[in-house]
Amino acid sequence: MTASIFIPSVGFGLVTASILALAAVGFTLQFGVTNILNLAYGDLMTAAAYIGYVVNRHGGSIALSLLAGAAFGALSAFLLNRLVYTPFLRRGTKLFGMVIVTLSVGVIIQNTLLAIGGATFFTYNFSVGSAVHPLGFVFNTSQLMIIGLAVAAMIVVQLLLTQTRLGKAMRATAANPGLAQASGIATDRVVDIAWLLSGLLCGLAGVVLVLNTTAFQSTTGSGFLVIIIAAAMLGGVGRATGAMVGALVLGLVTEISAAYISPSYKEIFAFGVLVIVLLVRPTGIFTGAQREVAG
Amino acid sequence: MNAGIPSKDRGFPTGEGERARVRLAVRRPSVTVRNYTNKRAGTVITALASAAVIALAGCGSSSKTAATGPDTGTGPLTFAVFNPFSGPDASFGPEQVAGCLPAAAAIQAAGGILDHKQVSCKSADTRGDPADAVPAAEQLIASTSGFMGVLGPGSDEASATVPLFDRAHIPMFGDTGQKVFDKSSFNYFYRITAPDDAVGYAMALYAHQKGYSHVAGVFGNDISSQGTAPTAAAGFRHLGGTIVTQSIPLDQSSYRTEIEQVIGSHPQAIMTEADPQTSGTYMAELRQLYKVIPIIGTNGTNQPPWFKAVGGAIGQANLATYYAGAQPYAPVTGAPYQEWRKELAVVAGKVSQPVTQWEQDSYAMAAWDSINLIALAAQEAKSTNPAVFNPDIVRIAGPTPGATVVHSFAEGKQALAAGKKIQYVGAVGAITFDQYRNSPGQFEIVKSDGHTPIVTYTANQVAAAR
Repeated sequence: MTASIFIPSVGFGLVTASILALAAVGFTLQFGVTNILNLAYGDLMTAAAYIGYVVNRHGGSIALSLLAGAAFGALSAFLLNRLVYTPFLRRGTKLFGMVIVTLSVGVIIQNTLLAIGGATFFTYNFSVGSAVHPLGFVFNTSQLMIIGLAVAAMIVVQLLLTQTRLGKAMRATAANPGLAQASGIATDRVVDIAWLLSGLLCGLAGVVLVLNTTAFQSTTGSGFLVIIIAAAMLGGVGRATGAMVGALVLGLVTEISAAYISPSYKEIFAFGVLVIVLLVRPTGIFTGAQREVAG
Repeated sequence: MNAGIPSKDRGFPTGEGERARVRLAVRRPSVTVRNYTNKRAGTVITALASAAVIALAGCGSSSKTAATGPDTGTGPLTFAVFNPFSGPDASFGPEQVAGCLPAAAAIQAAGGILDHKQVSCKSADTRGDPADAVPAAEQLIASTSGFMGVLGPGSDEASATVPLFDRAHIPMFGDTGQKVFDKSSFNYFYRITAPDDAVGYAMALYAHQKGYSHVAGVFGNDISSQGTAPTAAAGFRHLGGTIVTQSIPLDQSSYRTEIEQVIGSHPQAIMTEADPQTSGTYMAELRQLYKVIPIIGTNGTNQPPWFKAVGGAIGQANLATYYAGAQPYAPVTGAPYQEWRKELAVVAGKVSQPVTQWEQDSYAMAAWDSINLIALAAQEAKSTNPAVFNPDIVRIAGPTPGATVVHSFAEGKQALAAGKKIQYVGAVGAITFDQYRNSPGQFEIVKSDGHTPIVTYTANQVAAAR
């Protein structure tokens, strides 16, 4: 393998990592605050991508599609929690039961999309733009937009969690909901905001993902879920910064191993790294023994 | 697809020529058939099916023994469509159903097989996954009375389930393309559709005849695609070309690193098979990082969903200009084809719509032929016990001196009743089984609509690439 392929593969890894980071941070943010392993997350991404597609096909720009996807993601995640997950929690459904509930919701979303959209593939109407070659990397305008969007979103999330009262309240709720409530924090509202924020990132990630894959169908997002969870776990579940780094590691390992070894083995290497890291640090790179939402 | 009757060779490239060609199906999930498995219920079904198999094992064996004498039964007879009706290959099941229903209806209209007046098709969803297919097969075997034969399995589930049907002495006409079945030792396995490895040789031959000297071979790492990859590469090398091959994981968010590797060899064309989403992503990025180059696909890519995904990725105009796909060929002229269309029209409302998508579908036509072969074999053997009539399947397909050539069950039944020997020549043409119950056929290269022919190859021409 020569540097002529190594450098571009790092660049491609950055694009993959950017998409992954948007999704993984949203996923881990919500899990950290609510303790619900939302396996419908990938299907919500797909649903948001469909919304963006509809906007795009009605003449909307990609920016408008991103906004629509993000808004849909935020709203649907919020409603999903209020109308489905919270009633189950109030009835005392435990962790494993909630996993099954979220899995069921994912199947429902996926099959609803299949019923509405049909068993076919969709493509946004957009141009990826011209190619640029900064520092030996190979990007097009669309990929630079994806990287920029991910970096901006990560900065905003980081500032939100570390520099605002809301961020402090979210961290407190994640660490000990009862104590947070006793301390005067409106934990229900914090949970709502966590779902909204998670859904917003989920929606953004869904649209960005299908811009990158070009063609998508009703199962596209769910196929991406495993690596999202892997990125979240690699960084330490509940850690936004950890999810960002986890995404970066997986994105780079995936592409570089494809360049050096074989594309067939790139997922093996990515998940091999995950297993090794978790063997050394079972709670992920960025956490100690206690799970919390933190920057 | 098998098409044993030599048809007019259009040579290379073909001009207007005859319109005899096969269009691969518009693959759509069926809503007209019963499905017997559910992914999430797989474990439960496995347990129940296993229990049922154990419980019914004695019954099954005793009935087989009892049925080796003259068949005096009158009970209903069943043909099973054992293919995916859901999952990525959900289009395969309806395609087989489109062949089964017309044949079953026509057999019933002709008075049935022996004294069995009622003949039907029953569908079992394998989901394209051996984990689901095995319990589905066990359930079929355990619970189906008058079980005459199977349409399937396909590549996704064949390795896991062919032994099950074979052990139960149920004839099966596989639509799997796996090379492992080129020389199968299973006495109840038949195949009258083209094996994947032969499709690979046809791709290589086309690339060679187009004058390409170096190409890329990019295939998904799924069973079906990998069945084609080795022979496409070996065939092209045998013909003097250079090929860079790549096996890619499916449905990734990007293949840019893989493409960087491939374009280092400056390929003039790409031979490929992968699912629509994977191909859409790959081709879009190939266009961005390199350029649009001629695409040589397979019967796995000659499908509307693939055309939609890749057309959306590189532009429909580019797809129309650069795409060619290899697929089995069957004549769409002559008496057998007219009989097939006539019988299909009778059940037009019962198959996945639109019915026109099946009229020139080689796999549906092969399914129709398969049912007719099994039914006529039973009629000739005067038994509906597969263990008794199985040898007759090969015999009635092959040429026999003085035999009456028939193109439908009704014709065959009538000839047999008159004491004549018969040879069945079906919609896919004459069927000549080799010792492994495979029947080699012809191929065609079609345009991006999935049916407009570019060139047709005989089995001998394709063999030149081996």
